[in-house]
Amino acid sequence: MSPQLAVRDLHVWFDLPHGGELHAVQGVSFDLEGGDRMGLVGESGCGKTTVILALMGLLPPSASVAGSVLLDGEDILAGGEDSVRPHRWVDTAMVFQGAMNALNPVKTVGAQIVEPMELHGFASGEEAERRAGELLEMVGIDAEAAARYPHEFSGGMRQRAAIAMALACEPRILFADEPTTALDVMVQAQILELLVGLTRELGLTLFLVTHDLPVVAQVCERAAVMYAGEIVESGPLDELFHEPRHPYTRLLFAATPDLYGEEQVLSIPGVPPRLDMDIVGCPFRERCDSAFDRCVAERPVLQDVGADHRAACHLNERTVPV
Amino acid sequence: MSVALREPGLAEVPKRTPRGWLWQLIRERPSAAVGAALLGIFVLIALLAPWLEPYGVREQVGPVFAPPSPQHWLGLDDGGVDMVSLLIEGTRVSLTVGFAAALVATVIGGSIGILAGYFGGPTDMALMRFTDYFLVIPDVPLMIVVAAIWGPSLFHIIVVIGILLWTGTARIVRAQVKSIRERAYVKRARSLGAGHTRLIARHVLPQVAPLLIANVVLTIAVAIFDETALAFLGLGDPTNVSWGTIIEHAFLRTAVSRGAWWAIVPPGICVALVIMACYLLGQAIEDALNPRLKVSYLSVKGFRLRPLVGRGPSAL
Amino acid sequence: MRGADYIIKRTVFAIVTVFVAITLNFVLFRLLPGSAVADLARVPRATPELKAALTKEFGLDKPLLVQYVLYLRQLTHLNMGVSFANQQPVWNNLRTALGNTIPMVTVGTAFAIVMGIFSGVFSAWRRGTVLDQISTNSAIAFYAVPTQWLGLMLIILFAGLLPSYGMTSIYLVHPGFWQHTKDVIVHMLLPSLTLALTLYGEYTLIVRSAMLETLGEDYVLTARAKGLTAWDIVRKHAFRNAMLPTVTLVALSLGYIVAGAILIETVFSWPGIGRAVYDSVLNNDYPMLQGAFLILTLSVVFFNFVADLLYFKLDPRITE
Repeated sequence: MSPQLAVRDLHVWFDLPHGGELHAVQGVSFDLEGGDRMGLVGESGCGKTTVILALMGLLPPSASVAGSVLLDGEDILAGGEDSVRPHRWVDTAMVFQGAMNALNPVKTVGAQIVEPMELHGFASGEEAERRAGELLEMVGIDAEAAARYPHEFSGGMRQRAAIAMALACEPRILFADEPTTALDVMVQAQILELLVGLTRELGLTLFLVTHDLPVVAQVCERAAVMYAGEIVESGPLDELFHEPRHPYTRLLFAATPDLYGEEQVLSIPGVPPRLDMDIVGCPFRERCDSAFDRCVAERPVLQDVGADHRAACHLNERTVPV
Repeated sequence: MSVALREPGLAEVPKRTPRGWLWQLIRERPSAAVGAALLGIFVLIALLAPWLEPYGVREQVGPVFAPPSPQHWLGLDDGGVDMVSLLIEGTRVSLTVGFAAALVATVIGGSIGILAGYFGGPTDMALMRFTDYFLVIPDVPLMIVVAAIWGPSLFHIIVVIGILLWTGTARIVRAQVKSIRERAYVKRARSLGAGHTRLIARHVLPQVAPLLIANVVLTIAVAIFDETALAFLGLGDPTNVSWGTIIEHAFLRTAVSRGAWWAIVPPGICVALVIMACYLLGQAIEDALNPRLKVSYLSVKGFRLRPLVGRGPSAL
Repeated sequence: MRGADYIIKRTVFAIVTVFVAITLNFVLFRLLPGSAVADLARVPRATPELKAALTKEFGLDKPLLVQYVLYLRQLTHLNMGVSFANQQPVWNNLRTALGNTIPMVTVGTAFAIVMGIFSGVFSAWRRGTVLDQISTNSAIAFYAVPTQWLGLMLIILFAGLLPSYGMTSIYLVHPGFWQHTKDVIVHMLLPSLTLALTLYGEYTLIVRSAMLETLGEDYVLTARAKGLTAWDIVRKHAFRNAMLPTVTLVALSLGYIVAGAILIETVFSWPGIGRAVYDSVLNNDYPMLQGAFLILTLSVVFFNFVADLLYFKLDPRITE
């Protein structure tokens, strides 16, 4: 069965102001089946947001893209902006980080939900407004609030409204970029619960990007771990947690307190490598606690290490376990 | 004043402003370079005026409104005086008035802004109310009235313009000072018992200085515009030659209907060039202090596609 | 009602500013050096009765404070004294002058705003392209050029094609309504054009800056994500938001409009309030100068207030 969304060898480069390029995404590939809830985790700056923006074709003119993004088998990036725009909001929709600014302050929330409906011919006029009200109710907001402005909502409510807006045209895939980062913990949990509930009810596919592991733990069944622009490990979430096959994954999960835990006990020392120069050897080498001579010269390739579990680490080819 | 002005953009000056930041700016931004160069040229002309003028500014060397000729590249004015000499002399006066008035305005505005921002509370409120009223009252009519009553003289003109231009500076400086006051190192110094004067001199001023410089430059532009306007209306200093008075004389002596464009066009171009130079330089400094993210989510071109060669992260 | 507080605050502010302006006006003409100024009754060729009446109305023989109160009282009767130049009540002169200025300034400003918005939006959208650079640099040029000089340049340029003096042709005797209107319109072209060009530069820069700010906001990215085309985004999202700082900054330019009007009316001898200022300076006609200054200041305060209200209407975030 062909996956709903297949990303193959996605590369993104950004032109740098004083010449040269930043290789922000370095050959990312993954599949999404309908109804999946998948997470993309990594530190800030590892390229996760860029991946989502690339999938929706929202990259700036300073970006160059290579690879393919197959939505039901059709490469939506092949024709640039023109081939990806028809799918926006109708097939793939997005919830941004910090809905504070993602909503236009001078328009009512209702108007902003109705807008894509009318744009894509989904509904118009009174019917659209009615649907907007229903969507708001679905995310836990009173339908009457549609007449209010974004600044009248609390942070959590704004994010809910943003989710309602994302669902306006009944998309099949929902991308979420750090949807709960700017919210406080209690509200975070509620929003995440909402997302899980919605994806189950509506049969949505959810692709969630975050640096916050507890978030992924609460929402996703599968995850991919991203480092220095590439996926270094991917697989079912509990396997990543219990049987990580890449030192970065292991250290990442160890550095995170459990959901009810106290202070962070470990943090990974060092900084990620620069992306404006070619990387020789394994990009994680300098911060890795298990690096050996092969890691210096040869860049590891993503390989199967179990059922639906892949990792890019030379250690997996030794007989000694990580 | 109006709501949108309540929080003027705050400038982010690095904690230790590198000494040569102005030079660096000029090197990096072409607009700053152009502005600085133009301004520099005019300043030079103003300084060297007595040696550059080919003829005397009160010397009649030919008939009234004589057209340009090899001896007089820009012809003669309504008194038979050489236009080139007049322009050079005018540079001196116009720039002097501009710079001096801007200085007065910046000193007054800067002081008020610093006091209001630093002390906050009732001082702030009182000063800002005061400033707000003056912001609304139109500058030029007030200048005209004061100049008309007080009498024309270079000194009066400078003071009049300076006294009315301080309001913009005050607001901007106040906002900046307010944010500086909240910074950790200032609070620390306070708790260590540093006196107000010392704090202001040592911590606030250096941070505000670049902003003040940008403001002075932009104010010079306005001051020169105002001086030109006042001169045109007959309120300039009659004993001095400024670009404004040159235009005024040309107008009064009907240079236009006589077709003596050389008496009108050059002084206006000079004023425009200086104002442009000030605007470019001042704006560049302000932009550098207020780095607006160059992001625009809307653009004419889109992202580009590349063919994929090879597989994996090492591809391409 | 939303923002009742805000409206009350702005109204109070406007009223207080009006008082400040009136008082300033009074003070300037009484306290600054030049004793001739203080005497509103020194109308040349005035009858003794007129002088006596003026002295009584304005309390010119009484202490300053009394004079102030009387001054205020006379203002409510629209009595600002008598013009030294034509022995007519100042208000009558000003009223006529104002009536001549308003159409010219309105046309010029309206044009400038529309042109400025177009080029500002366009430049911001096409930021960095050659067209943007041309547009922005020419805006800076127009902004830098002295208004009176621009007027003179236009006169030279259109010499013979368009009239450059006065509001009506002196050769038209007893014109009919339409003839007169056409005459006025033809005479208004150059002055209005001068004002429009002078303001256009500044407005382009303002709008461009506001649009650039707006185009970097997250909701623009959201709009793109929703599938809106670039033009849609500019029209439905960016433009509306960019109008907020624009309204404020245009309000700030009112002083500039006044200055421009004075200079332009002088250049073109347009019989408006700007020229009244010029003439009164020339003729040492202090009552007229005082009156004109007051009218101009009050107009600016009024339009600032209007701008505040407009801003309030546009921005739903204002509630306090």
